[in-house]
Amino acid sequence: MTRPVVAAVLAAVLLTAAPPDRLTAQDSQFSVRGLGVPGRWESVRARTAAGAFGPFDPRSSVADVSLADALQLTATAVEATTYRRAEIGGTQDDLRSSRFPFMGLAGPVTRRVVVGGGFATYLDRTYSIVTRDSQMLRGAYASYTDRIGNDGAVADLRFAAAARLASWIAIGAGAHILSGSSRQTAQRVYDDTTFLGTTQTAVVRYDGFGISGSVALDPVRSVRIVGYARSDNRLRTRLGDAETDRTDLPTTLGAALRWSPSPSARVAGTAVWRSWSDAGGFNTTSWSAGAEVGAGPTPLRFGVRGGQLPFGPGTAAPTELGVTLGAGKGFSGNRALVDFGLERLVRKGGGLTETAWTVLVGLTIRP
Amino acid sequence: MKRVALAALAAVTACTEDVTAPGHCPDFCPSGSISGVDTVLQTVVQRDSAFRGFVRPHEANTLLAATLPGVIDSRAIFRTLPIGDSLVVESSTGAMGAIVGVDSLKLALTITRRDTSAHNLTLVYYRLPLGIDSTTTFGGLGSWTDSLRSLNADSVYALAGHVDALRDSVFVDSTTHQMTVIAKLDSAMAPFVPADSGQVAFGVRVMADSRASIALGSVESGLGPRITWFAKVDSLGKATVPRSASTGDRFDSFVFDLLSPSVDTTLDSTLAVGGMPVARSIMRFALPRAIRDSVQISRATLILVTARPPEGVPADSFTLAAHGVVADFGAKSPLSADVSRVATTRVHIGVARGDTVRIEMTDILRSWQIDTLAPTALALRQLPEGSEFPEIRFEPSTNTGLGPALHVTYVRRFPFGKP
Repeated sequence: MTRPVVAAVLAAVLLTAAPPDRLTAQDSQFSVRGLGVPGRWESVRARTAAGAFGPFDPRSSVADVSLADALQLTATAVEATTYRRAEIGGTQDDLRSSRFPFMGLAGPVTRRVVVGGGFATYLDRTYSIVTRDSQMLRGAYASYTDRIGNDGAVADLRFAAAARLASWIAIGAGAHILSGSSRQTAQRVYDDTTFLGTTQTAVVRYDGFGISGSVALDPVRSVRIVGYARSDNRLRTRLGDAETDRTDLPTTLGAALRWSPSPSARVAGTAVWRSWSDAGGFNTTSWSAGAEVGAGPTPLRFGVRGGQLPFGPGTAAPTELGVTLGAGKGFSGNRALVDFGLERLVRKGGGLTETAWTVLVGLTIRP
Repeated sequence: MKRVALAALAAVTACTEDVTAPGHCPDFCPSGSISGVDTVLQTVVQRDSAFRGFVRPHEANTLLAATLPGVIDSRAIFRTLPIGDSLVVESSTGAMGAIVGVDSLKLALTITRRDTSAHNLTLVYYRLPLGIDSTTTFGGLGSWTDSLRSLNADSVYALAGHVDALRDSVFVDSTTHQMTVIAKLDSAMAPFVPADSGQVAFGVRVMADSRASIALGSVESGLGPRITWFAKVDSLGKATVPRSASTGDRFDSFVFDLLSPSVDTTLDSTLAVGGMPVARSIMRFALPRAIRDSVQISRATLILVTARPPEGVPADSFTLAAHGVVADFGAKSPLSADVSRVATTRVHIGVARGDTVRIEMTDILRSWQIDTLAPTALALRQLPEGSEFPEIRFEPSTNTGLGPALHVTYVRRFPFGKP
């Protein structure tokens, strides 16, 4: 086998061997209720421009049609470390976590057709909640501490292909297997040690299926318009062999516009609508705008994004606003790319304000 | 500068995890919650029965001696091992000489339990016939009027060096608090009978101002009576020389006379525990399936109502054990060797009829949940068996409202898998 093929096989093995429950995108207190917090199907390159370039980025899995631009074998992985602060009712808690939310692999099979795949977070379900209360036991109130935790996620395993039909049009399609598990824990510890503490654990498994399609049009050389759609059928929850829950999943519709006024400057904007009310949440509309300045191996990226979260208390969807900044560095003739960035997020809803700093590091290999 | 930047990047992106936060319920808490239940299962014991004869006096670890007017009169009896008719007179050659007489004998007894508030604790020694055995009864030994001598242990212990003029001595182990009483008997009290090879049999009675109830170590516990003969031995026809020989006991037991009109060793429907001969009660639990299979138990307490209180002195208080069985064969149920299947509590003399006795048996119930093939039966027994006279009886399961009950606190199965 040639070196590129060996490298591609190694990359594929490394990318697909990762455990799905470490794929969670970004933990949030808004994942405690409902199905969780939706993940981001973006590489660091796209995410540091607030996701505006996601539908155009062959390393991201937002729109399958973007694979058409992967003219050589490309493997990508993302590491995100988040430092969160949740404030509610005058109290605040500082939380942190490290995740590997996205991995992708793409490469051409013919001159016009490119295939790709990988993992991304579909829903993040990681949290640990501690509460204090008491109960009347044997004639006296017994105080206790409850800890209910959930550690895991639903991963999106994507198989996709894209074809450039002409210089001004490309199409893409993908199939998505939703799979994942979470380790759930329910623990009670009494202050009075004559009552023994209890710990219950269970591994809950999830599965589902989805399809996606997209089209990219280049009406003029400097402008690309992408439209994409995705439909996921349902999320089935299993505990052992028993099905404990089945929830419909949303339909996703999105559109994006990219303008490249010069080879060293690009701006883009996207808008996405998802029917999360099918899953018992709020329908969400999200937007983003970003720019990438600088050609070659060290571009500068920045952007702003906003939108809603599907699950939260009350009658209105929680909101989210974020700004991003990032850059990249190429090595070995751009065969290895390191992208890094910083994301600042503010989420609000139901009296809770959650702020987060996320440090993003991405590695792309083009053997 | 570049290295510093790389180090900083490595630091902030290093793997880290802390996702635990206080819950703000109900908005930011999971939909499911941990549900605790506290309930008393009144009819969980559905079959029970009592059996007697598990430990007989000559099998017990202790020799019980008590003089409790109106309650019980019990005395220790034992027979020593023979020492033969000759002893070594010259250790270098091993030459033996015939025992021609004795000067004296020292008898050592270990008191393993006593009531320290009992004053003038006195041991009274009797010479008994060598024919005593496990069938010997209190009445079969006559009137017990011809005592050899008595020894006031408290008085001797109060002396300097704990030794009196007769060379009697008393020692108390500061760790175990066991008292060793060494009494000297002269040749008139304990003559050496060559035909018996030095075997002797004694009886011991205990007296005190009050609360005269003690336990003496037995051969089964390794603390049985020991004697030391101080003999005169023929020194190969030249003269007699003094030689000593120590030996333990071959048989020990105790005989007793139950004086209390309320003490009736006949078993009825109540759950008897302890006494002499030792009684046990077997209790069979019919746990609800949900509790056995689906919940996590935080605490479980067996509640027993006293039907007949134990009689004795405070030092006769004993340990009551609920002991899991390996198999339910009724009286012959083998007891589990697993310490997690033994729950104990202390039963104090003074508990009255109608009082409740509680045994924490959380570990036992948890072990039944783990091992679903284990019989859900318990043997109620005294620990150690045969070391106390008092017997307690509990209301049986047939006595509705007063029968054994199980107070259990548990947590229901958490609704995992719900969003």
